[in-house]
Amino acid sequence: MTDTAIEAAALGRRFGRRRRPALDGCSFRLPAGRVCAVVGPNGAGKSTLLALAAGLLRPTDGSITVLGQAPAASRERLAYVAQNKPLHPQLTVTGTLRLGRDLNPRRWDAGAAERIVAEGDLDPGARIRSLSGGQRTRVALALALGKRPELLLLDEPMADLDPLARHQLMATLMADAADRGTTVVMSSHVVAELEGSCDHLLLLGGGRVRLAGPLDDLLAAHTLVTGRAGDPLGPHTVVESRTTGRQLTALVRPTGPLGDGVQGDRPSLEEVVLAHLRSPDAPPLLLDAREAAV
Amino acid sequence: MSAATVGAPTAVRRFPEPRGLFLAMLRVHRSALLFWAALVAVAVGALLWALGPGADSAWAEYRASGCGGDSPNLGCDLPGPAHGRYDTVVACASGLLAVLPVLTGAWAGGALIGRELESGTARLAWTQSVTPARWLAAKLAVPALLLVPGTLVITLLHRALWASDSHLQRVLGWREWHDDSVFEANGILATAHPLAALALGVLAGLVVRRALPALAVAALAVMALVYVLDDVRPHLWPMPPGTPVLMHRHPSSHFWPLQLVETGIVLAVAALATAASFALLRRRTGAAV
Repeated sequence: MTDTAIEAAALGRRFGRRRRPALDGCSFRLPAGRVCAVVGPNGAGKSTLLALAAGLLRPTDGSITVLGQAPAASRERLAYVAQNKPLHPQLTVTGTLRLGRDLNPRRWDAGAAERIVAEGDLDPGARIRSLSGGQRTRVALALALGKRPELLLLDEPMADLDPLARHQLMATLMADAADRGTTVVMSSHVVAELEGSCDHLLLLGGGRVRLAGPLDDLLAAHTLVTGRAGDPLGPHTVVESRTTGRQLTALVRPTGPLGDGVQGDRPSLEEVVLAHLRSPDAPPLLLDAREAAV
Repeated sequence: MSAATVGAPTAVRRFPEPRGLFLAMLRVHRSALLFWAALVAVAVGALLWALGPGADSAWAEYRASGCGGDSPNLGCDLPGPAHGRYDTVVACASGLLAVLPVLTGAWAGGALIGRELESGTARLAWTQSVTPARWLAAKLAVPALLLVPGTLVITLLHRALWASDSHLQRVLGWREWHDDSVFEANGILATAHPLAALALGVLAGLVVRRALPALAVAALAVMALVYVLDDVRPHLWPMPPGTPVLMHRHPSSHFWPLQLVETGIVLAVAALATAASFALLRRRTGAAV
């Protein structure tokens, strides 16, 4: 049994020769059992990365392995929910779950899928086309979790949900994943919703990996510095620095003790992500979980 | 470690995989299946009626108006109401076979493939335990398995009708064995044409990837194929030297040679379209198996 859920090496995918590649030279490793957030602005390559991991697209450069195999060979062991939650509108909720049973004959857990549907007070006889966005998302998640995946890939799972539905579904999802040690990879551009539930981060920008690693280690590697304008930031790697009047605010990766008169704070996830998105030229930081665990 | 033993699957394996895929296909395309069943029922009912009561009353009317004897009677060229009904019903049944290829192609391009790629439900299937290639195989095999018996039953009834009532049809229906609709309905072409249309529709759906444009492209492609086939049909089997190559110049003994050559061509088109579909899907998803 492999302890790596996803490993990408110089992974690239372009759509058409003239267009900028959607993904370009991405290398990272995601250990099994993590809940990983894939963050980035629109067009960063999040959906392309998830589709590559799900075996729906073929990489044009580099390689990606999922659960130790090519994505197509891991098809039975992973589940994927696309951004628009595609389901057959003419089927009922029960019919949709039967579809899951028919198409996953070796893995289907009808009880788990029905439980997720029942928690949402859904009428099993209702047609998919009559459901609200949140209810459709719930059915799509039931279909994904009924498969008992070892790796669950979710593309913007909560994008079109109200805060209450988002909270409920996230709780359902996290409880199920924790019970079974499922590796979860979910993309989002709403950073705040991920902070409580994820322990691994992959930040994409312009098709490249900007940050990758365990969330705590990534946060610990950064310091939010406040001081007077003109204070030297010295040998540290500066991700972003801004001066407002005589006040200096900067996000740095310290390489040693901070200088005198400079105050350092632990940044929030949102501060780290936003600083990297605002400065596309900041060097990437890739922390491998194996090294970081030492 | 094989995929089947990892992760302690909780569900007992109820069905072998092909059966599950087959059930899923029937579930997703249930309305098309019911439509096809209704179409076959209508055609079979029409032909059975024409074979029995329809032909009887047409003959009775024919004889009652003093025709059918040896003496020529100009009025016998004008059909009465009973014969009109008979002729309409037979024309409907064979016309149904004539439009079936276009219907099949349009459905295959639009609903079977195009809509699934456009809405993303194809990706939903490919991330269950089904590879894209198997999904495509099911998309081709299940409709083909349902098309073949339906068209064969209609063809057999049409042949029975043609054998028993050919005199009636020729006397009053102005229908000949080499008319396009009669020629197709009386042989295996009635089965081969829809199969080629299915393959062309699937290819159109995979190329265009959107439901409505794929429906239009598939319908046009099938119409073009049928049009070209109608045009080249007389050339598919050699005539005795010196006769102009026209369909009605062929002796009726050329029926089966003409049928078989055209069936070969049509099935080759179907095979090419199927191979192109698999190659295209494989190139796009990169999926082996």
